Amino acid sequence: MAEPARSIVVDPGLDETIKKLTPERIESTIKKVLTKEAAARLKVYMQTCVHCGLCAEACHFYLSHDKDPRFSPVGKVKQTLWEIVRKKGKVDGEFIKNCSRIAHTECNVCRRCSMYCPFGIDMAYLLLLVRRICAQLGVVPQYLQDTVNSHAVTLNQMWVKQDEWIDTLQWQEEDAQDEVKNARIPLDVEGAEIMYSVIGPEPKFLAQLLGNISMIMTVAGMDWTMPSFDGWDNSNMAMYSGDFETMARVERKHYEAAFKLKAKKIVMGECGHAFRGAVYDGSKWLSWKQSPVPVIHAIQFYYELIRDGKIKIGKKFEKPITVQDPCNVVRGRGLGEMLRYIMNAVCEDFRDVSPRFEHNYCCAAGGGVINCGPPWKKSRVEGNRVKAEQFKATGAEVVVTPCHNCHSGIEDIVDYYNLGMHVKFFSEILVEVMEIPEDMKAE
Amino acid sequence: MPELELGGNTYEVDEDGFLQQLDKWNPQFAQDYAPLEGIDGELTEDHWKLINYIRDYYEEYGIAPMIRKLCKDCKFKLKYIYEMFPSGPAKGACKLAGLSKPTGCV
Repeated sequence: MAEPARSIVVDPGLDETIKKLTPERIESTIKKVLTKEAAARLKVYMQTCVHCGLCAEACHFYLSHDKDPRFSPVGKVKQTLWEIVRKKGKVDGEFIKNCSRIAHTECNVCRRCSMYCPFGIDMAYLLLLVRRICAQLGVVPQYLQDTVNSHAVTLNQMWVKQDEWIDTLQWQEEDAQDEVKNARIPLDVEGAEIMYSVIGPEPKFLAQLLGNISMIMTVAGMDWTMPSFDGWDNSNMAMYSGDFETMARVERKHYEAAFKLKAKKIVMGECGHAFRGAVYDGSKWLSWKQSPVPVIHAIQFYYELIRDGKIKIGKKFEKPITVQDPCNVVRGRGLGEMLRYIMNAVCEDFRDVSPRFEHNYCCAAGGGVINCGPPWKKSRVEGNRVKAEQFKATGAEVVVTPCHNCHSGIEDIVDYYNLGMHVKFFSEILVEVMEIPEDMKAE
Repeated sequence: MPELELGGNTYEVDEDGFLQQLDKWNPQFAQDYAPLEGIDGELTEDHWKLINYIRDYYEEYGIAPMIRKLCKDCKFKLKYIYEMFPSGPAKGACKLAGLSKPTGCV
């Protein structure tokens, strides 16, 4: 049976860049990545895989494409890395373009498949290796590359300048004072217990989230600060494009901000990949055994605030509500129980999803896929029909996504599959239901 | 490339519904697009103030303005932006202003 034809997607990041490639450059780049960077790890994975196909059923892209084997994890590796190895790097530009399409836009490096592999092969690593080769050749979807360029130039992902950053924080501090009269966003406080960091889109467009954290921190009585200088952005799309040199610069700067402020720990906002970059991929590339300053994800932070009574809940959120488990902090860090704890603490009618926890499906936006931009949107939302079906079955009206990628990706899924649900960050619910002590309430 | 038909005109848009070329924009595009972004009726003076501000900023700097800049220069509260554009400043206001989709985790 003939395979259904793939739709043609126009992306200058792929279409134009491959024109500059020569066979020699492709071959030498592949050789360098495979022998100097991948080496033994790749060899072990290649020799261990028995081609059983158990990974296939684990992938939302495969399930959402009616089990088309081209979308199975093993199929994605077979079409890319295995061919590269088999042909000893003698592949052409068109082949590299197809590699980028598969590795950058049809795999979220979410690692669900690795849990179902009898040998625990890290498929995400293999697809990231393909991305690495593509990035070294300059073949990266244009929107993703633009974000990486911003990281490289400004050390944040949205081209935010320092004066704009500071101005935004001060403005949101004032807005927070409309609700909590003593709300602050303390800047550059040396020796603070907590350095709070966020991702670029918060100051750029979603500034209310900065106002929210100001209210939450103030009500909870936290000793916290934010840096007025570079290192405030904890996000890292370079980790996903395959530009690991830029990834390392960004991660190092983030930690250096905490060193400079002599903070005891870093608490980060609701973002999954930022946690992965800081704690795992970034630290590893920098040859650090672990993160040099403890990093606490928002889920764990809110869990501790609510558990310890630092934030008290008034009237709970009433509408039926469900949740998305962000892969990088639930599968990657095991925060699923804490997420349920805080959901139940703030909501009357929490409706859990199935499958859940580390078995939950990815949002299909993570892993840099949504950052590949509009050209790849259709393919992304079509690749996650199972997520739409999963949410629909809960009957909930609201979905909480404690991750920026999940938030945007699920908004797209809600829209495309007409689910009629609202998508919210946890902090948006929390500020609605938390008790503000009388002496802190704005007049 | 997807095409979008609005009020008898056809526009080239990307898959997120953002206009492909800034110079193909016209006020009618914004007005006809408004219902798709959850805005009922005629666009108000404040809608236009915001749309024009975003377009002028983009033409000068080649990037969408920070939400702070937008609120400061137009003298709007952040909450009011969401009241005017329920889908938000990036996906609502920038789209009606004819910009490309901003890059990054949005």
